[in-house]
Amino acid sequence: MSKSRVDLVRRSDGSLVEATLVDGVEPSDLIVVERAWTIVRARLIGRLRAASVPRKEWPESWHWNWERKAPELAQLAASGFGILSDEDWQGLMLIKTAPYVARIEADRGKPLVYVDYLEVAPWNWRIPALGEEGRYKGVGSILFREAAKLSLEEGFHGRVGLHALPQAEAFYESACGMTALGRDPRKQDLVYFEFSREQAQKFLEKGGD
Amino acid sequence: MAEKRTMTLNLTEAEMNALEELSRRKDLSKTAVIRQALRLYQLIDKRLERGEKLFFEDEAEKKKAEVMVV
Repeated sequence: MSKSRVDLVRRSDGSLVEATLVDGVEPSDLIVVERAWTIVRARLIGRLRAASVPRKEWPESWHWNWERKAPELAQLAASGFGILSDEDWQGLMLIKTAPYVARIEADRGKPLVYVDYLEVAPWNWRIPALGEEGRYKGVGSILFREAAKLSLEEGFHGRVGLHALPQAEAFYESACGMTALGRDPRKQDLVYFEFSREQAQKFLEKGGD
Repeated sequence: MAEKRTMTLNLTEAEMNALEELSRRKDLSKTAVIRQALRLYQLIDKRLERGEKLFFEDEAEKKKAEVMVV
């Protein structure tokens, strides 16, 4: 496990808050996360139901369960990243370095880092229908950046692939500059996005989202 | 990234040729090829251990063959 310092932005006043980026999240951490997040998720879902907010406006990861993903960390190909602040996990990412390969023509068949799951803590969700702005900004971006950096470290030249939930499509395409390669019928018809080596380089040089 | 240990690997000429060919085709260092191979082997082994099967499928030829892994 390795730890480094990162800064999050507090949405309420724009101030920077010190946080710790953890490379090497353990299965036991996922159990802690699920216990902490499930209560907040349930409370928010209750409010969404009470306010008759249509299901398509709910945060799309509301039904995820990180504890169930814990056994995956036993694979050599799997790694977990997380951000800790205020003694709470502010976001988590589970990536795989095998058996995923690039679909972009120039690098087709070459290995990439696949982002299997990336979620910010429910108290960081922005839910306009409830007037919720979320506590911290930048959690997802910092985690995603680690996927691109890991791809370089692994010798994958920055190649990253992922299937995006519809609410995240704009982030990956516009803010990150990934290429959308169409809907994938083998993955709940989600849009598959990929970073070519050039796009990853540009994203990492930009230094923010 | 986790700390790494170094080891010496003895390969036959044919194995070294295969490693160099994969390294070139996949645009990876030889170390990265070996690491990928180990990840894949472990992944497949775990799934076979759970009772799953591994197949190669040729959609055009409509052929499907089970792969036996030792």
